Amino acid sequence: MFHWLEKHPFFFAVGIFVTIAFAGLVEILPNFAQASRPVIGTTPYSTLELTGRHVYIKNSCNACHSQLVRPFKSETDRYGHYSLSGEYAYDRPFLWGSKRTGPDLMRVGNYRTTDWHENHMKNPASVVPGSIMPAYKWMFTNKADVETAYAEQLTVAQFFSVPYNKEVPMKDGSTKVVKMGASIAEANELALAEAKVIAANMKDQDVKDAVAKGEIPEIVALIAYMNSLK
Amino acid sequence: MNKLYLGGIIFTALMLLFTYMSVSGSEGGLNGDIVNMLAVAGAVALVIITVFVVTKYVRQMQTDTADGQLADEKWDGIGEYLNDLPMGWAILFFALIVWGMWYFVMGYPVNAYSQIGEYNEDSAAHNTKFETQYASITGDKLVEMGESVFLAECKVCHGINADGIDGKAANLNKRVEAKSVKHVVINGSNNKLLGMEMPMPDRNGLVNGATGAAITDAEIDAVSTFVANGMKGAGADVFANVCAACHGADGKGMDSVAPSIATFNPTLVANVLTHGKKGAIGEMPKFDRLNAKQKEAVGAYITNLSK
Amino acid sequence: MENRPLEYDYTVAKMFMFTTVALGIVGMLIGVILAFQLAFPELNLVLGEGLAEYTNYSRLRPLHTDAVIFGFTLSGIWATWYYVGQRVLKVSMAESKFLMFIGKLHFALYLVGVVAVVASLFLGITTSKEYAEFEWPIDIAIVVVWVLFGVSIFGLIGIRREKSLYISVWYYIASFLGIAMLYLFNNMEIPTMLGANAAGESGFGNWWHSVSMYAGTNDALVEWWYGHNAVAFGFTVPIVAMIYYFLPKESGQAIYSYKLSLLSFWGLMFVYLWAGGHHLLYSTVPDWMQTMGSVFSVILILPSWGSAINMLLTMKGEWQQVAASPLIKFMVLGSTFYMFSTLEGPIQAIKSVNAIAHFTDWIVGHVHDGTLGWVGFMIMAALYHMAPRVFKREIYSKSLMVTQFWIQTLGVVLYFTSMWIAGITQGMMWRAHDEFGNLAYSFIDTVTVLHPYYTIRGVGGLLYLVGFLMFAYNIYKTMSARPVEESELQNASPMGA
Ligand code: HEC
Ligand code: HEC
Ligand code: HEC
Ligand code: HEM
Ligand code: HEM
Ligand SMILES: [Ca+2]
Ligand SMILES: [Ca+2]
Ligand SMILES: [Cu+2]
Repeated sequence: MFHWLEKHPFFFAVGIFVTIAFAGLVEILPNFAQASRPVIGTTPYSTLELTGRHVYIKNSCNACHSQLVRPFKSETDRYGHYSLSGEYAYDRPFLWGSKRTGPDLMRVGNYRTTDWHENHMKNPASVVPGSIMPAYKWMFTNKADVETAYAEQLTVAQFFSVPYNKEVPMKDGSTKVVKMGASIAEANELALAEAKVIAANMKDQDVKDAVAKGEIPEIVALIAYMNSLK
Repeated sequence: MNKLYLGGIIFTALMLLFTYMSVSGSEGGLNGDIVNMLAVAGAVALVIITVFVVTKYVRQMQTDTADGQLADEKWDGIGEYLNDLPMGWAILFFALIVWGMWYFVMGYPVNAYSQIGEYNEDSAAHNTKFETQYASITGDKLVEMGESVFLAECKVCHGINADGIDGKAANLNKRVEAKSVKHVVINGSNNKLLGMEMPMPDRNGLVNGATGAAITDAEIDAVSTFVANGMKGAGADVFANVCAACHGADGKGMDSVAPSIATFNPTLVANVLTHGKKGAIGEMPKFDRLNAKQKEAVGAYITNLSK
Repeated sequence: MENRPLEYDYTVAKMFMFTTVALGIVGMLIGVILAFQLAFPELNLVLGEGLAEYTNYSRLRPLHTDAVIFGFTLSGIWATWYYVGQRVLKVSMAESKFLMFIGKLHFALYLVGVVAVVASLFLGITTSKEYAEFEWPIDIAIVVVWVLFGVSIFGLIGIRREKSLYISVWYYIASFLGIAMLYLFNNMEIPTMLGANAAGESGFGNWWHSVSMYAGTNDALVEWWYGHNAVAFGFTVPIVAMIYYFLPKESGQAIYSYKLSLLSFWGLMFVYLWAGGHHLLYSTVPDWMQTMGSVFSVILILPSWGSAINMLLTMKGEWQQVAASPLIKFMVLGSTFYMFSTLEGPIQAIKSVNAIAHFTDWIVGHVHDGTLGWVGFMIMAALYHMAPRVFKREIYSKSLMVTQFWIQTLGVVLYFTSMWIAGITQGMMWRAHDEFGNLAYSFIDTVTVLHPYYTIRGVGGLLYLVGFLMFAYNIYKTMSARPVEESELQNASPMGA
């Protein structure tokens, strides 16, 4: 049979394709339906948080940082509760990473704060002697791209029914609504309102001035994202 | 001895040395941790199997000769023997397929393995082991434990020497700095330092008992330096007239009224760890994932620092 | 006519040989920079504070992986395809204007793709998915390039004279089909310009931006189904295609066993795809999928080793050739590293071992004993074999080749041993608790211990790069030397051209 296949390239190719495609189906399909359900307490990203997530991706922070707490005592001691599938329901793309050159960031919002991030991103080694993380100084001057984040919010709301402007159940039984702007202007306003809260806790005068002027430096968006990781 | 075998042995020995170095490099060593042991076993197996198998085939290159029946075809001059499968390979392949099917259909489901179940067992075992130990820890040992928590969790903000890294976080070698006192007196404070909702009023609510007027700028500066100096020097009068009512004459605080601002104590630190703290310097996160004993220990360590 | 040897046309092969060398240099140079940046973080500022946004570790890392995978390796695969394909199918590209055109178009579009990729990654335009960083406009270009590759494969097969497909061709076909399927499904994404709001505004934000069709755990599942098999159909299958041609051809030996070739091939096809779960061990994908990944990874040792053993046995009794020919040394050591990494992988895929190895440099070590020792060695060997035949000139210097071989071998050994130590050390330190039951180390303690190993790795990588530059120089001198008659070629293999 194999000799025959080797003389008939078409059937040979079909043979290969069937052999390799089969495994994919078994591996991927069964999980699809169930794993995308959010666990209670998981909310969609706000406009500024999503903008910050884009800053994170743009700079490939995931090259060094994972966002996946494995169920080991040593990891839950270090990072907090192990990850649950539903916590990632609004993560497109997922950002688990595959290398921990730096620590996991899945729940970094629980144990680091705005002003610490500000110092750290400006010069990691000045806060953590021996750190090999690069300094990200340009984030303090680059302007964040809120519009692309807003376009993404609209897209996911439209195509994947991500519940913006809807009540989302929280752990304590209350509900929370994550707002999405009805227009670009409103989206910018929402982001700016969030940015002001962050900037108030920051020390860098240029950043504060920029936010006061209505501009959002990348660092502010990034910190909003970091703080949302809980 | 054959150069090849010698080379193989040297290579194996070197790799085992490297493995040994990595294990001892982690200081804790194998630590009685089964996962560590399996990883090392895997590394050792990898080296030995590869060296063994490759040596075997290199031997055949050196001593054996190629033979067998050739297939009819040639591709660009490349021929092909119709030799049988190497027996060892074929048997292992077959055996592994059988094992795989068995494992997946029988071994695994019957074991009813769940990684979360495994985690629960592990942490329960860990907790029981240390809860019994914790119970008896006091005094210097407690401070030592606190130091270990501090070095693992806190030094990224407060620095190895707990000096706050040039004002980026609180300097824990002294109770409080003038800047922070001033900030609190002007703005008030609501950080649950007493473990409960009990705010300190802002400057409008701080009345000098002697003059009957709200605290003045000059008085604020004076009292801030006084407190930051470890309750010494000028400003004692302001403290006595404005603050002592709540913080006590010696600044050591009063139960359920105001915290100590003269010294640290473990309860105060534990409250900071439970609720976090926001002040003149910045924001300190809360540390839910530390257990009560760990908070007590690190409290003892910090109290010890400023003594 | 029929009795005259075929005049094979290597125009397209030559073009891809050029990009193999050029992108190999770029990719490995960036690799060396990355390695030293981890040892000496000041190097994030190599071109000064102002350009740090573009020269820092995190911006450069995807450039390294994509340059070596989609630049160096893919070019190598195509250079060899456009050489080997003609020869084992006994048909010349010159016989079909159409295929010649497709081949050139394939190369031209590929170049456009390379430029787009480099520009976009420098600018930080990425979807973050490893080995699939590109946004949809580039995805489309890649699909077109891939289709052209397919047309070229099946076109050439369509007009072949050799009825029965040689083993290498099996592997090239598999590589084409595998990547096509994986790439398409992993890159399902919706451009965000499609989002519209109630105010009627739409099409704003970056036009190239998109959002993945899958979320969270599912996204991870698809990505690592892709990622794992991108290794399969990018770093394994086409490289095996190369060794099945170049080793017997260069040594003049017949393949040891048809049956072994057959079982290894179909075994690999069947088993590989199931093993992707080993990238997601202890994650939030269901336990049974993880177990499946582990089990199939262990089974995968055998079909992988089958090909390697077949190659080693092909050299049975030919030790004098291994000793004399640097080219054959590259291939024999390449097979050995292939065996090493395909045993290392399954061991790392065992859950308990992965608990230590995952997220650490041990994985990076595994990656590079495979890519440097196997992929890199094989591609260089293939180009060394092709160069005299394609350019009709002698290899410029054999002694340079020998020196290169030893320098690079030392480089690979330094690379993977240092990462082996670094990974195990770090993995164990992360897990360690002290006598009080607290974490024994803060994260940064587990970073600073690695400094010596990062330095050693940098040196190893630098040696490998130096070797690669020697290779580039050798090839350059070969192609620019005085042409010689084919009959004069001294490095020609025993079977002639
Ligand atoms: C070269 C690798 C590298 C890159 C790239 C990198 N980091 Fe880090 N990161 C580290 C290391 C190492 C540490 C631990 C030492 C320290 O805290 O500086 C760290 C620590 C951190 C921490 C503190 C987490 C904790 O638990 O202490 C945060 C937050 C962080 N990084 C965010 C980022 C962000 C955001 C980016 C991208 C913009 C980034 N990092 C890029 C290596 C890196
Ligand atoms: C009405 C009672 C009251 C008076 C009067 C008062 N305090 Fe306080 N003080 C508190 C309480 C309650 C807290 C704890 C607030 C919290 O939980 O954040 C506190 C907290 C503080 C802290 C913060 C400790 C820390 O660790 O940051 C400082 C410093 C302080 N007081 C100084 C003063 C000084 C100086 C004065 C006088 C000028 C003063 N207080 C007067 C009730 C008082
Ligand atoms: C993310 C940074 C960060 C981490 C981690 C952190 N701290 Fe803090 N901590 C701060 C900052 C900032 C302050 C100062 C807040 C203020 O008063 O402005 C502070 C204040 C404190 C105070 C109060 C000092 C005072 O005078 O009132 C104590 C006590 C303390 N930290 C203990 C700890 C301990 C113990 C740990 C580890 C278990 C820890 N901190 C971890 C940032 C941090
Ligand atoms: C039997 C064959 C193999 C098996 C079972 C295997 C298994 C593994 C495992 C378990 C990991 C680590 C996943 C993790 O914990 O993050 C891994 C990573 C990797 N392997 Fe292999 N491996 C094999 C062969 C190879 C070969 C031959 C190469 C290359 C030439 C290779 C390249 C890689 C790469 C690039 C990664 C890194 C993926 C990432 O970015 O995380 N593997 N492999
Ligand atoms: C000069 C030689 C090279 C050096 C110094 C080098 C260095 C590096 C470094 C420093 C990293 C990042 C590791 C980390 O995250 O900690 C890396 C990643 C990687 N390199 Fe290389 N590299 C070299 C050559 C190659 C070649 C030739 C290939 C492929 C053919 C390759 C494929 C990869 C891959 C796939 C990764 C990602 C691994 C992962 O995510 O797990 N490298 N390399
Ligand atoms: Ca990776
Ligand atoms: Ca894409
Ligand atoms: Cu894999």
